[in-house]
Amino acid sequence: MAETVSNGIEQSTTAEPGFSLKNRLIGIARVSPTMAAGVLIVVAFGFMALFAEFLMPHDPVSAYHDRVLQPPSAEHWFGTDGNGMDVFSRVIYGAKFGFGIAIPAVLLAIVIGVPVGLIAGYRGGFLDEVLMRFFDGLRVFPSIILALAVVAATGQSLLNVVLVLGFLDSPVFARLVRSEVLALRSSVFVESAKAAGNPTWRILFIHLLPNAVQGAMAQTAVRAAWAVRISATLAFLGVGIQAPTPEWGAMIRQGAEFMVTGQWWVALFPGIALILLVFGLNLFGDGLQDLTDPRRRAAK
Amino acid sequence: MTSPVLTVENLAKRFPTGRSGVFVNAVNGVDLTIAPGETLGMVGESGSGKSTIGRAVLRLTEPTEGKIIFDGRDITKIPEGQMRPLRRDMQMVFQDPWSALNPRMRIGDLIAEPMKLHLGLSKSERENKTVDLANRVHLRPEFLRRHSSDLSGGQLQRVCIARAIATNPKLIVLDEPTSSLDLSVRAEILDLLNEIREQTHAAMLFISHDLGTVKLISDRIVVLYLGSVVESARTDELFSNPAHPYSQSLLSAHLPADPAAKLERHVLKGEIPSPINLPSGCTFRTRCPVAKDFCEHEVPKPHHIGSAEHQANCLRIPDGGNRIAQTETA
Amino acid sequence: MSLLEVENLRTHFISRDIDNQIRVAKALNDVSFRLEAGKVLGFVGETGAGKSLTAQSICGLLRPPARIVGGSVLFDGQDLIEMPQEELNALRGDQIAMVVQNPRTSLDPLTRIGDQLVRIHQAHTGGPVTASRGRALDMMQAVGIPDPANRSNAWPHELSGGMAQRVLIAMALMNNPKLLIADEPTTGLDVTVQAQILDLMKGLTERFGMAMIIITHDLGIVAHYSDEIAVMFAGTIVESGPVREVFAKPDHPYTRSLIASTPEKLQIGGGAKLGGQPPDLYNLPSGCPLRTRCTFAEDVCATPPTRKQIGGGHYSVCHFSGALPEGGGPQ
Repeated sequence: MAETVSNGIEQSTTAEPGFSLKNRLIGIARVSPTMAAGVLIVVAFGFMALFAEFLMPHDPVSAYHDRVLQPPSAEHWFGTDGNGMDVFSRVIYGAKFGFGIAIPAVLLAIVIGVPVGLIAGYRGGFLDEVLMRFFDGLRVFPSIILALAVVAATGQSLLNVVLVLGFLDSPVFARLVRSEVLALRSSVFVESAKAAGNPTWRILFIHLLPNAVQGAMAQTAVRAAWAVRISATLAFLGVGIQAPTPEWGAMIRQGAEFMVTGQWWVALFPGIALILLVFGLNLFGDGLQDLTDPRRRAAK
Repeated sequence: MTSPVLTVENLAKRFPTGRSGVFVNAVNGVDLTIAPGETLGMVGESGSGKSTIGRAVLRLTEPTEGKIIFDGRDITKIPEGQMRPLRRDMQMVFQDPWSALNPRMRIGDLIAEPMKLHLGLSKSERENKTVDLANRVHLRPEFLRRHSSDLSGGQLQRVCIARAIATNPKLIVLDEPTSSLDLSVRAEILDLLNEIREQTHAAMLFISHDLGTVKLISDRIVVLYLGSVVESARTDELFSNPAHPYSQSLLSAHLPADPAAKLERHVLKGEIPSPINLPSGCTFRTRCPVAKDFCEHEVPKPHHIGSAEHQANCLRIPDGGNRIAQTETA
Repeated sequence: MSLLEVENLRTHFISRDIDNQIRVAKALNDVSFRLEAGKVLGFVGETGAGKSLTAQSICGLLRPPARIVGGSVLFDGQDLIEMPQEELNALRGDQIAMVVQNPRTSLDPLTRIGDQLVRIHQAHTGGPVTASRGRALDMMQAVGIPDPANRSNAWPHELSGGMAQRVLIAMALMNNPKLLIADEPTTGLDVTVQAQILDLMKGLTERFGMAMIIITHDLGIVAHYSDEIAVMFAGTIVESGPVREVFAKPDHPYTRSLIASTPEKLQIGGGAKLGGQPPDLYNLPSGCPLRTRCTFAEDVCATPPTRKQIGGGHYSVCHFSGALPEGGGPQ
């Protein structure tokens, strides 16, 4: 890695001659082809979410009353739904909800879970016991039922869905960080930091945190897939996001009733989009774990 | 006479095993003193409690019994909050330099950390001192920007030493600082430690299982067996006139790197007993070639051998039977 | 004919990195040595010099990305490199046995030690199980395990480090090997126990007429327990010969620096030692691999030095073999 030292001396480097992005990408694709596939899918959906306004041929929520439940055609690639809205445009717009819920929910889960795991793992004892039992308690309930109950009770808004998902998923990050910290807290470099005179907060956040979060970071994509799936499920059950908002779960719910009458396209296309994004995120997450865990990498 | 930097009185450490009432007796009543600028070598095999003593002295593990007096102050029971400012004057170098440094921090930040914690210097003063320190441990300044994974074991140990001397401590505990290094690198590190000692006049507690290494750097040596001091003497005296049978066998077990050297072997029987069930009386008696029945019943007291600084804890010193004769070798 | 003849053995690590570039670490470069039956050869050198890799290459225990790319290994006249894997497997544990560092991790934790000894005898020699049991007890006796009949029922976790190493040695002896390879057999054991184990192994080679290779970083062990010494640096044997001869008249600058670094010879404050970083095996300097660290290095050292004989069985790979000042190390 060529770098210039602040005092201006150019550093002679021994590291990788001829680094190129192309070779790095080929290298990653070779170590983890599934990850490459996952990245492609996720990037494609991300592109859809960011540039939905330019990609949608129609307004996703304007109803063409004369074109209700039309099958796929040149004008409406994925057909129209019961309100006469363009399904193709709605599927594209739905990507915004997928990412818009998953990213803040995962960030919230990290913000809650990582410090809790850090402190519980380092302090141990009673505090650890209380925090972890509480989190165990959270995980005993099927998350979908808990999410349903909480969202239904706190009010039907997008923000509430994000908050509930983030909170419900925080134990995953807390557990991962805690187990890393448990292994690291008796390691020599932590003892060496203590011997040098580091106060506890520095040991936690300067010494332990950067070494303990790698496993948790590798989980983010998989947890994002979970958040996408659960938020769609909530919408499908009619909690949180309501039709005619172009959210995939809500669209599938709306389309489900037309399945029996033969208008399959209303539910099928948002369903495929949902499956693809969840699949892509999972592949990506799996690859991240392959790359960050040397044991898994060696087995490949 | 100046007052010692460190005095340890009757130090004991018992670790719980998980079963109630059963303890690992790692350290059993150890007394030590280190004068300012003095290097005390502490020698023992695995299970001798030497690392535990080193860590207890710095309050990295809580002693079960005894007293630790550092620089005239009893630090045995003071809380960690009051302990922290004292750490400026007592630093440690660990055995395995690969695991003793935070892998996510740059070398320069690692060296500067103790100064940041204790000295209250400005950032630029600290950076200048970091470069100074790198020079003092013969580390090229370009390494300061790297991470520990880019350095070899010898270079990493130099970083650890730079960290330990950054705040000009009065005492440095070195726990097997050269054991995990290759022979030629070991020689360089010993050279460096000797330089540091002459420059800073810091007292050192040098812990090792290797008598050959300890001999090179120590003014005085204590020999440990199963958590107790069995002999303490000035270095040359211990090597020329080891009084305790364990010291004698330890010396004879050392293999000089010279095929022409004649070996005077006293190979001990068996292995070090479990520190959970210590033998009664003299703990060395189960392996001792000169043990007698009375060694089972009596705990040995220190006996002076010649000079006041040479003491050995052997019950056979009064009757002169503490020497292992050639005929008793295995 | 010698028991073991290794000629120009080359082992490389060939891998692709994350940037899809092929990287080759030249870990062993033209390693050649001979070992006569009943003799003890000591390999010394720093970490990464290729001591253990030499042993693994000989025994066919390499795992990808390590690969033998050249040379020959003749054991008792058979070429081990050309030999099919099944035949080599049959030979290993039978005629060639290994004792490794960390004995406890080398024992099967779920099998009583007596059964492990019987198992290895059955796998190679066969015959009635009762005969194998008898031999197991004999071998446990031979390695100084007290009360073998009782101890053979012990589980590996019940053994101390020294005892576990004895079991491993007994296991190595089960099939009467012609060659015993001991890779750091006493590292991690206490000095007083180390003396017991080394005395035992040396005694056994004499008693059973085995040849032995001791791999160690401790020059003291080689000085007192081996007949021949091979000094390795950066995948090359830089000097080899009879132990007394090499210690008395070390030729290669690297050997001199090693001997000068031992506690007996070390002069604290004696100035610059031949230290520095071990060379990067991915990017070895041209010519002599030591030249970047060697105080005697001159322009000629950028060309590869050849192996020169400087005494009876005493070889050195240096451009200045025999021409460097007597006794003067790179201090």
